[in-house]
Amino acid sequence: MVGRFDAAAKGRSNGAVLGAAEREEQYPPTCPRGPGLSSHPGTNQHGKSVGGYVKILLVDDDPVARTIHAMLLQMQGHEVVEAADGELAWRLVEQGNISFVVSDWMMPNLAGVDLCRRIRSSDLDGYIYVILCTAKGTQSDLVEGMDAGADDFLVKPISPEELRVKVRAGERLLRLQQGLAEKNRELAHINHQLHSAHKLVEDDLKAAAWMQQRLLPLPAQNASGVRCAWRLRPSGYIAGDIFNLFQLDESRIGVYLLDVCGHGVPAAMMSVTLSMVLTPDATHGSPLKRIDLATGASQVLLPEDAVRELNRRFQSRDDRYFTMIYGVFDIRSSSLRFAQAGHPSPILIRAGKEPILLGSGGMPIGLWPEIDFDCFNVPVIPGDRILLYSDGVTENINSNGEAFGEARLLGSLRDHRLRSLDDLLQYLLAEITQWGSNSEFTDDVSLLALEITENDVLS
Amino acid sequence: MQFEESRILDVLVVRVHESRIVADVAAEFKTGLTAYVTSGKKRVILDLSQVTFIDSSGLGALIGSLKAMGAEGELALCGAQGGVISMLKLTRMDKVFRIFATPEEAASALSLRNGADSETSQP
Repeated sequence: MVGRFDAAAKGRSNGAVLGAAEREEQYPPTCPRGPGLSSHPGTNQHGKSVGGYVKILLVDDDPVARTIHAMLLQMQGHEVVEAADGELAWRLVEQGNISFVVSDWMMPNLAGVDLCRRIRSSDLDGYIYVILCTAKGTQSDLVEGMDAGADDFLVKPISPEELRVKVRAGERLLRLQQGLAEKNRELAHINHQLHSAHKLVEDDLKAAAWMQQRLLPLPAQNASGVRCAWRLRPSGYIAGDIFNLFQLDESRIGVYLLDVCGHGVPAAMMSVTLSMVLTPDATHGSPLKRIDLATGASQVLLPEDAVRELNRRFQSRDDRYFTMIYGVFDIRSSSLRFAQAGHPSPILIRAGKEPILLGSGGMPIGLWPEIDFDCFNVPVIPGDRILLYSDGVTENINSNGEAFGEARLLGSLRDHRLRSLDDLLQYLLAEITQWGSNSEFTDDVSLLALEITENDVLS
Repeated sequence: MQFEESRILDVLVVRVHESRIVADVAAEFKTGLTAYVTSGKKRVILDLSQVTFIDSSGLGALIGSLKAMGAEGELALCGAQGGVISMLKLTRMDKVFRIFATPEEAASALSLRNGADSETSQP
């Protein structure tokens, strides 16, 4: 077919734009631009022909037929590479520059259908479109050919029009495949960018977690009269839980464990702020002490008063609140006084007795400005242990949706009561983790254990 | 999240069909519940019988809805059981919400027809 040009192609880049008379005479003609063909021909990164025409591998052992068909294809604007037999064709395909094969069926060495099978079972880059040419268009040929992976058929003698449209159909498919491959490359690139962005966020969170860890009591930190051990397992990198223990004055020790509503970054930011505020240093307006401005003397506030002051200062504008246990241990009277602001009840573990829950509850902090908070006293003797914890412990659910619960916690503390303070927490944490099927905690888990020790303060 | 509405006496009862009111659904819960409140319903009974667990975000959302109701209205609770009721007690929410066992008891207490409420506002 000579001289079929699309008028719309006029003015497109690449190749001379010929006048009608010139086009009729030129042989072979320059590439016609039909509707649906895209940008000028070039090669993609795999070295395959892309765009307006396709490089076709034409395989036929009959030299006459091969020449005629090559000519037809060239006249239709395609670049043709010829191969006289299947094995030679296969070597050309292997070199990786071929995306279109038009092959005769009956050939020595390697039949067209077997060449097709080999192409399909290979691991070459990009799709290779295969048209098989058969002398007799029988049903069984069609089936065998399709099974072998052929995309289409031509029945010999080959009609030029049929060849043209079938090659064009193949081109469409190849363009589609190319489009997909490009999209995949784009996706891979975006994926890589997302991965990098995510890593930045993660690195930030890790740094924040490290900062938060540094706010917690040092492992060996003890105040005279009390020994402590603790564990913090944030549900993400950082926790909305926080706790501490410190000397308030010569005879009093303060201890708190709080849990900010929710978890993740907003809760953690709040918890860090609170840990900065809850300091025994009275000089910076700590809510735990009152300073007499006249004398400069500071006075440790009762837990319920300290918590009331904290509540006054931390009224939330959204629905955020926090729960807290704040206790003051008076070494001289050997008693603990706790304020319980909506937080799970602490547990008293006394030698020879069953572990028991202390307190009955209280309102959380941050919800309403003028609230009185619940408090209670616990007389203690050396050897007594108190466990503070967050609800991430008791609300931890197993695969059946059952919560770990208070009863199980009490039971666990009873089972391990003869262990050292640190071992107790180690075993407890292991049980809680196992309960949740060793998967990530959905809420922060905090444990703070105190042990009353013999002390020399009592005089 | 589904809210099933019904009326007992002259009071609106809203049953929430969600088993766990936790962080990721708390916002939806608040929006849904607050919609009743801000649409002028002065008396709403929240039926929690389908709820097995509320976490801190859920409680925050509940309190947010209560605050939206304001002083002229009432948001009462009913049907709370197990973990939900113990959580409400631990946080002393029984001092903030009237909590009833059944929607009928709640409606009876809130209904204007019983004269139990001296407000003149309509439900």
